[in-house]
Amino acid sequence: MIGTILNNLARFVVLILLQTLLLDHVDLANGWVVPYLYVLSLLMLPLELPLWAALFLGFGTGLVMDLFSSTPGLHATACTVMMYGRALMLRALAPREGYDQQDRATITRMGLAWFVTYAGVLILIHHLVLFFLEVYRFSGAPVTLARAMGSASATLLLCLLVQLLVSRQARPR
Amino acid sequence: MRDLFRFLFRQRDNLLFLLLLGLGLSMLIRGNMHQRAEWVSTSNAAIGEVYALRNDVVAYTDLRVGNIALNEALARERERASSIVERHDSGAVRTDTLRHIRYRYRAAQAINSTTHKAKNYLTLDKGTLDGVDRNMGVIGANGIVGVVREASPHFASVISVLNEDHVASAQIRSTGHFGLLRWDTRDPRTVSLADIDKHVPVSVGDTVVTRGSEGVYPPGILVGVIESVTEDPGIPFHLIVVRLSEDLTRADHVQVVSDLMKAERDSLEASAPRE
Repeated sequence: MIGTILNNLARFVVLILLQTLLLDHVDLANGWVVPYLYVLSLLMLPLELPLWAALFLGFGTGLVMDLFSSTPGLHATACTVMMYGRALMLRALAPREGYDQQDRATITRMGLAWFVTYAGVLILIHHLVLFFLEVYRFSGAPVTLARAMGSASATLLLCLLVQLLVSRQARPR
Repeated sequence: MRDLFRFLFRQRDNLLFLLLLGLGLSMLIRGNMHQRAEWVSTSNAAIGEVYALRNDVVAYTDLRVGNIALNEALARERERASSIVERHDSGAVRTDTLRHIRYRYRAAQAINSTTHKAKNYLTLDKGTLDGVDRNMGVIGANGIVGVVREASPHFASVISVLNEDHVASAQIRSTGHFGLLRWDTRDPRTVSLADIDKHVPVSVGDTVVTRGSEGVYPPGILVGVIESVTEDPGIPFHLIVVRLSEDLTRADHVQVVSDLMKAERDSLEASAPRE
């Protein structure tokens, strides 16, 4: 229990710092690709986490990002929406006999297809909300849509990369 | 009433979601309207430290570019300053309104240098294509560095001050007495100043500057300060050791000085009858 909390806390700190100190300062393709890797810390939260806790954690994580980027409410809203979607996603993607006690939202545990679906959809939701709230208007929607999609694919790619790089568990047989 | 509470309890997650969503959106809207500045100032007090830390690290990567820019600015300033100061002939200082330039300073970078051999050289990243040519003086931000020995189109080889072959005339700034600078101390931080007569009062700490008589360095460029003065009964001169103001072991951004009137002066001195 304590180990799980510390694990998630460490992941949160590392990813937030990576995001604010490095990724936020990397300008790929003139603002068309803006990865938000920090959402991985939310995506990898324990599966059995109750929704209310997930919502609070999402809001809090977003608020920290908002503090760093001085965008009050922007990341907080996007993350809250994403965490609500996460509950629906987990229900939709659940195996027939339900989640195992040791199941965690990782490639090694759940498989590549499961994780790509899970993370891909949630990242897209997060980025769509984020990018549309950021420009704060619907005019020029195709541009914003393209930016959100481009960034979402970059974020997903980074998430996969991070998971593949740091996963220590052996693949399940 | 109980049904209402039961309903609320059953829907608590959804209600929490709506609550947080509303909170986030209201922050967003207020922030977008007018209160952004207030939020930014409070947030920066907390977050600023983290960004300051980051800047401490990242600033190093910008130093290279910054140093080059500073060196070029220094070269321009020196050019401006020397073109005004040089014109105090006939007793009165004449302000040169035409900005007649006597010395040209070109910024360059030492891409290779030695300091611990008997004959030390530097290599600069500028050559004849940039106007660098042999017998031009090379100075750093704090003092003299050497003399260009050879120049290819893109590079220049410089005889360091720390080289037995490097000879330059220098004078003690306070008294004006001059002698020859030579590197026979075998110490990369000092040179010796020879040929200063024993009757001349010399004290430790005096500033030594270039004299500019051989047309390599402009006059008045800092060499260093006198570190020690010793006497040898057999020699009519002081034995003066000068601590170099430029740290040759670190000289990196330098400037190449060319005297634009050198050709005129050389031809005059060649044609004037000796004796």
